[in-house]
Amino acid sequence: MARSDLPFRKDNAGRFVQWLVMVLVFLSAIAATVNAYTDALLTHWSRSVVGTMTVQVPPAAEGRSSSDAARDAEKVLAALKLHPAVASAKAIPREKIVTLLEPWLGSGAAITDLPLPALIDVQLRPDSTNSAASVADLVVKAVPAALVDDHRVWLSRMTDLAGGIGKIALGLVGLIAASLAFTVIFATRASLTEFMQTIEVLHLVGARDDYIAGQFARRALTEGIVGGVLGLVLFAPTLAAVVWLAKQVQAGVLPQVELPPLHWFVLALLPFLAGLLAMFTAHFTVRRALRAMV
Amino acid sequence: MAFNRKKKTFEGDTVQLENVSVGYGEVPPIISGVSLNLPQKSFHFLTGPSGTGKTSLLSLLYLANLPMAGSVKLFGEDVMDASRSRLAALRRRVGVVFQDFRLLDHLSVFDNVALPLRIARVPEDVVMQDVKELLNWVGLGEHMENKPAVLSGGQKQRVAIARAVVNRPKLILADEPTGNVDDKIAVRLMALFIELHKLGSSVIVATHNESLVARFPFPRLHLENGVLTPRPAAGQAG
Ligand SMILES: Nc1ncnc2c1ncn2[C@@H]1O[C@H](COP(=O)(O)OP(=O)(O)OP(=O)(O)O)[C@@H](O)[C@H]1O
Ligand SMILES: [Mg+2]
Repeated sequence: MARSDLPFRKDNAGRFVQWLVMVLVFLSAIAATVNAYTDALLTHWSRSVVGTMTVQVPPAAEGRSSSDAARDAEKVLAALKLHPAVASAKAIPREKIVTLLEPWLGSGAAITDLPLPALIDVQLRPDSTNSAASVADLVVKAVPAALVDDHRVWLSRMTDLAGGIGKIALGLVGLIAASLAFTVIFATRASLTEFMQTIEVLHLVGARDDYIAGQFARRALTEGIVGGVLGLVLFAPTLAAVVWLAKQVQAGVLPQVELPPLHWFVLALLPFLAGLLAMFTAHFTVRRALRAMV
Repeated sequence: MAFNRKKKTFEGDTVQLENVSVGYGEVPPIISGVSLNLPQKSFHFLTGPSGTGKTSLLSLLYLANLPMAGSVKLFGEDVMDASRSRLAALRRRVGVVFQDFRLLDHLSVFDNVALPLRIARVPEDVVMQDVKELLNWVGLGEHMENKPAVLSGGQKQRVAIARAVVNRPKLILADEPTGNVDDKIAVRLMALFIELHKLGSSVIVATHNESLVARFPFPRLHLENGVLTPRPAAGQAG
């Protein structure tokens, strides 16, 4: 029923709610998107490093010849190939390591004389990516000086970071929801005072509490949805601008990741969630206030 | 008018007051120890000097207040025991003409009168028909779309009466319903209450207008110094 018995068009409390919902939904959309982007980035990174390991066999040190080092590398390779979880293990050719180092150390004779470690690139079978620890044990048993990096430390720090950002985003959304609820409570109380005479008449003519509360609730729902849609309208160009700026940054630093469809769905839901929250809060507030009447 | 909507039938007295006291806050009660039974289809005037508590007594019956002491039964239901939604349901069976009208200024005359029907969730086509018919009857057919603010005192009063009776309440409480109209219209408005009375409603008309009381053959309840005294009818058949 679109008809309302209360002169809502005249009161400013409601317009304030709409404006505030716009800002709050805008902020929620930002928080949710930052969170989704962090998650997507983490998935992207972990997908590219999970199941890979890098083994470093230290270069010849004092008391050891470079052929000792080469033999250690062979030992590691041989041991790796026996492990069932290993799909492939390849020594990275010395030339390639040199090429990788050139930008930092310069080319020429000096670099080729450097005591470089031997690097072995290990790919685990896709179904046994969690055997990384036993593979590492095997390597260290073969050559105690070898260093195994399965990127887990790095990845777990990234996971912590993403988790932290997620919690902050959740906290923000919680604060935002609380602000919305409090605003609706105060705006509803203001309207209740403003419309007291009308409400008394409705009450005396036999309106049930939920009839009166329903009018406030319906109006809060509309304000929430309209404000929320405006918030998304504000958010869209902001997102576009950030995406454009991100594209200007080197691809390796900020990989272009796709946000999951669920995220866009959640964003589209925000106005309705805001509307529902406003609706229930208004309903509750009015019912409470009406209980002061006989 | 088509007075054919089904209402729950109820056999006992419409109003039963037992030892009722009415008051506001700490001051001594305005009315104390009033007992009163109003049968169905009764018609009473309620008289008494200004400030004596007529409106306060009526407000007990339209459930704006609860008694300080004593019991109030409407349609056999004890209001002290009734839930909030039962109280609302009881209020829908009572039509009130407020002394100060209490029209909603932001609604048209039509919507003001339609209010009780819409609250009772009467279908909109019935609302249209009943409200129009009633407004024509009280001579406000031309003013349906106007806001109350542009009406005269007497016109507002007629809107208030129309709103009170539009849902064919079984109990009609009219607080000075003819205070702002000339005698000719007063008689016409009384005729409306009498018609509803004949159709089965109990009516109480609170008034200062002695000539109105004298004109109709209805008993009066006189309230003075907190005491309610029934008096026999003064007037002849109207
Ligand atoms: N809400 C209220 N709070 C406190 N006192 C009230 C309230 N309503 C009425 N009174 C007091 O109760 C007394 C009775 O008032 P009431 O309006 O019932 O009289 P009345 O008989 O209807 O008068 P009138 O004929 O002038 O309409 C008055 O002294 C009034 O001041
Ligand atoms: Mg009075």
